[in-house]
Amino acid sequence: MADIVLNEVSKSYGAVSVLEKVSMHIKSGEFIVFLGPSGCGKSTLLRMIAGLEAVNEGEIHIGDRRVDQLPPNQRGVAMVFQNYALYPHMTVRANMSFGLQNIGTDKAEITRRVEDAARMLEIVPLLERRPAQLSGGQRQRVAIGRAIVREPEAFLLDEPLSNLDAGLRVRTRVELAQLHNRIKATMIFVTHDQTEAMTLASRIVVMNNRRIEQIGTPMEVYSRPASRFVAAFVGSPSMNFLAVTAIADKGGRAAVTAGGSVIDTGIAFGALPGPEGLTLGVRPDALRVAADGSGSLTGKIDIVERLGDRTLVHVRLGDGSLVVAEDAGNSLLEPGMDVSLRPDGAATHIFGADGRAYHAG
Amino acid sequence: MIVAGKEASHMLRDKRQEYLTALILIGPFVLIYGALFVWPTIQMALLSFTKAPLIGPGDWVGWDNYVKILGHRLFHAAFWNTAYFVLLTVIPNTLVSLAIALAVNRLKGWQQGFVLACFFLPYILPVSVVFLTWNWIIDVQYGLVQYVVRLFNGGQPISLTRTIPLFMPSVAFVTIWWTLGFNVLLFIAGLRNISPEIYEAASLDSAGRWRQFSRITWPLIWPVTALVLTIQLIAQLKIFDQVYLFSIGGRQDATIVLVQYIYKLAFQQNKGGEAASAAMLLFGMIIILSVLQYQLLRARGQK
Repeated sequence: MADIVLNEVSKSYGAVSVLEKVSMHIKSGEFIVFLGPSGCGKSTLLRMIAGLEAVNEGEIHIGDRRVDQLPPNQRGVAMVFQNYALYPHMTVRANMSFGLQNIGTDKAEITRRVEDAARMLEIVPLLERRPAQLSGGQRQRVAIGRAIVREPEAFLLDEPLSNLDAGLRVRTRVELAQLHNRIKATMIFVTHDQTEAMTLASRIVVMNNRRIEQIGTPMEVYSRPASRFVAAFVGSPSMNFLAVTAIADKGGRAAVTAGGSVIDTGIAFGALPGPEGLTLGVRPDALRVAADGSGSLTGKIDIVERLGDRTLVHVRLGDGSLVVAEDAGNSLLEPGMDVSLRPDGAATHIFGADGRAYHAG
Repeated sequence: MIVAGKEASHMLRDKRQEYLTALILIGPFVLIYGALFVWPTIQMALLSFTKAPLIGPGDWVGWDNYVKILGHRLFHAAFWNTAYFVLLTVIPNTLVSLAIALAVNRLKGWQQGFVLACFFLPYILPVSVVFLTWNWIIDVQYGLVQYVVRLFNGGQPISLTRTIPLFMPSVAFVTIWWTLGFNVLLFIAGLRNISPEIYEAASLDSAGRWRQFSRITWPLIWPVTALVLTIQLIAQLKIFDQVYLFSIGGRQDATIVLVQYIYKLAFQQNKGGEAASAAMLLFGMIIILSVLQYQLLRARGQK
């Protein structure tokens, strides 16, 4: 196992730039997730690490070797493709053995590794079958098995769960986490699903528009998003954003006027730029319904979504903006009722016109 | 229950209607196919057992025609010439087509379309044009090919179509040039069916160029190869036009092929019965060989 270092890696197709000066340091054994919307460059970056796309500028190091000019097979990485890319004419055993045969691994050793991996992934009964005879989940396991037998420095996984149905996806996600705990390998996982990123990652790399927006642990990314984009992309339901019309200094902390009311935040006033173009961000779990009517924001309920353990309340505020607030699971609220909301000042965020984030504390 | 019964009768009516529609749609084809193919074939089979001229009735002679033809020296010559031609064209054409398809498949965008069109162009030419073009190219006095021929013949030109050992290889070469476009097209379609991700997986699996071809491309396009080989086999067993055209004015019997032999019996010697027997023999050969070959190739692919 080895560290992976990217140093100002750039990629363009002709005049079209797809990645600009991406740098990061992935520590050995980490589970890194590249998270971002379609077209942000996350898959391209993964393919560049794999050696399937050329690197225009910058360097990639795996362990103590610079690899960006090496062919894919000399980089010590294994990849699991979105559509699995199993060899359709080979049995599962042949699929898993192919890479080892190509580098002249001893026959007994190949058998041992293939059977070990098959036992770990519980696909031993499938070894003599062909991909066409397997279900989606089974193909997925074979693709992972093909990567495991090569004992690579790092596993690269390109949206490996996106072709599975919802139930299987959750189960496979858990199994992937267990697999990572067991083999302690460096894994890089690409996804556009923030739930997958939050649940699997040791660190998330949030990408948007050719660049890295933030690198951090799931909780860092969730509670201290580096930009408005990250704040909006991570978390479900999404963060509420309200335009700020005025800010005031209240004992060193900022008190902002938004949604027609004044809200006390825990954010240092001195750090903020002028009031122009500021946005207040508050997640639904930090915007609770105040049953006694003492909240600082008031509005009329539009829709009530009951999730059992909690209730999401869509509220139209006095100035017409719509926010999602949270209430207890046994909430008695109904659409059309007037409601009072209390934001948790310590969990509010302010975003500048450039998208830059300011946090409490 | 009433609803179910109604539905059933409705479905029954739909079924009947479907049969009627199907009959109307395939009717014209079945009629024409029956009148112009099945009926004449039966007539020919019957004709082969009679001592008849090309036109008009003849006496029933049983297997006499077959016995006579199978002992005919010219039939043997035609058989071996055809076999030689098949050997010279079927597998070489398939291999050359595959090689060209692999090369063309590496090109991108308009370049691929252009090069593919270049290879396909000869295929749309009629055989007479192909014959005239190549007759000029290989002409013994002013043909371009003679510059190459002279290099191997001490500076002397040779007529490629009047020198018996060179005749079949020359015609085979022209045939491959003429027909490979279609095979290239089939192979390209087969190659495009292979997902690029599979090659990416293979490159991560340390498979070099040759391993990728021998372990991935070749097995995955084997069904197309089997198809191309079978189409080729049938087409080349029926070879006539090129061989006939290139041998006009020469000793035709030395390079005679089976269809040419049938033509000679029927239209030059007015032996309708014997020509029909020869045609039946060729018909049988093509059926047996192509079914045998296709089954054999399919079995290999499934292994």
